[in-house]
Amino acid sequence: MAKVKGYPEALENKLRDRRFYGEDTNPEFTKTVKKISDTIAHMCYQCGTCTASCPSAPRSSYRIRKFMRRAVLGFENEALTDPDLWLCTTCYSCTDRCPRDIAPTDVIMAMRNLAFKRDIIPVNFLKTVQAIYTTGHGVPNNDVNRTARKKLGMAADPPTTHSYPEFIPGIQKILDYFKLKANADRIVKEREG
Amino acid sequence: MESSHQYAFYLGCIAPNRYPGSESASIRTAKKLGIELLPLKGASCCPAPGAFGSIDLNVWYAMAARNLVLAEQMGKDIALICNGCYKSIWEVNHKLKKNAELRKMVNEVLKEIDMEYKGTIDVFHLAELLYDPEICGLQKIKDSVTTPLKGAKIAVHYGCHLMKPRKERHFGTTEHPYWVEEMVAALGAEPVEYRNKMQCCGAGGGVRGYDIVHSLDITNEKLINIMEVKADAVTDLCPFCQLQFDRGQIEIEEKFGVKYNLPVLHYCELLGLAQGMTPQELALDLHGISCEPFLEKVL
Repeated sequence: MAKVKGYPEALENKLRDRRFYGEDTNPEFTKTVKKISDTIAHMCYQCGTCTASCPSAPRSSYRIRKFMRRAVLGFENEALTDPDLWLCTTCYSCTDRCPRDIAPTDVIMAMRNLAFKRDIIPVNFLKTVQAIYTTGHGVPNNDVNRTARKKLGMAADPPTTHSYPEFIPGIQKILDYFKLKANADRIVKEREG
Repeated sequence: MESSHQYAFYLGCIAPNRYPGSESASIRTAKKLGIELLPLKGASCCPAPGAFGSIDLNVWYAMAARNLVLAEQMGKDIALICNGCYKSIWEVNHKLKKNAELRKMVNEVLKEIDMEYKGTIDVFHLAELLYDPEICGLQKIKDSVTTPLKGAKIAVHYGCHLMKPRKERHFGTTEHPYWVEEMVAALGAEPVEYRNKMQCCGAGGGVRGYDIVHSLDITNEKLINIMEVKADAVTDLCPFCQLQFDRGQIEIEEKFGVKYNLPVLHYCELLGLAQGMTPQELALDLHGISCEPFLEKVL
């Protein structure tokens, strides 16, 4: 790589400048987000193309550019406790348009993973986990649909875990490996009693 | 008719459990076009990329890998009809194939259930197979049409997770694609374009469950844009988008007091109609929004 005169020193000095970090910032957060998202999140130069492309931005206070800034500066608490974190529809418009190829959508997903480690998660996400643990499906079959399927000359249940429940224990083992069901049950119980 | 192309048909959740007509239509229409869709026994939810990806990406990889292994055991590539499933099944397959460290982690988990991911199969959306001239192609679709959908203006909703992120996929532009419009034209209908057609339906990322009004507001904006060009129906490639547009219109009426009555049909359902399947054979009566005005126009 070509060396730019004076540049490495300038960057080092900048990184040493503690004005970039305060008591409420955590440089480790930047690194963790980068690792989970497999992006170069620290390279964001705040052009705002992401927010401009975002279908959630015009109808809420969700600003993906702000989350990108929080990733760069290590504002961990501010990012993970902001309820707007959950308004990304993961449409990837920002990712396709980001001039630095940072994939802001994946940065948001990484932050959501980190939020979940602190039990910060909307309950509807956990209910999907519970449904899959029991039936193998996030949206399980129902009686209206079974009748309709039979009318179409199909089996009442599709050839998925619905017809082959012997596959469900395997799914449960995978979810239990990550202790996901236990955590989901615990958090749902805490929220809803 | 002989079927030279066989695939394991990965169903997902919403198609078989809410819109069974699209499952049936996919199998029957594909067969007429030389594509045989075989049941993928014991498959589960993909799992939902928005919900699972947000909670813990590693669980998402492992769960999707289990579905992939089922198809590997059959020795067949996967075909599916849902963009959300495509995101999970295609993307996890792609990631596991190129990332040895990730594959090791996933196989560590799968060992618990005596499975191993080997990376021996590929994953396709049925729409891309139908468009591919090596497999099927527009001419073959045209030749299979017995009831051209003449006189109907159809807007296309591409959805997000099939073609985006563009650089990881292979579909070309995500700003202004036109291939699904070509597939609609092949059925004898008139494809119409509308403002901001690549916008999200609003359902993904867990937002439909987290903040339904926010989610429907995005859908509403799309519906306004589609109504502006006087479309007779909107077609999609994703049962979750379909649910959001179809059942969503009922929720929009309840919450915002606006009514569109815009029929919403999966491309496979349109193809079924064009190949002469009846509305009963497609279970169109299960749709939240009546398809009657559209059917009167084309049948």
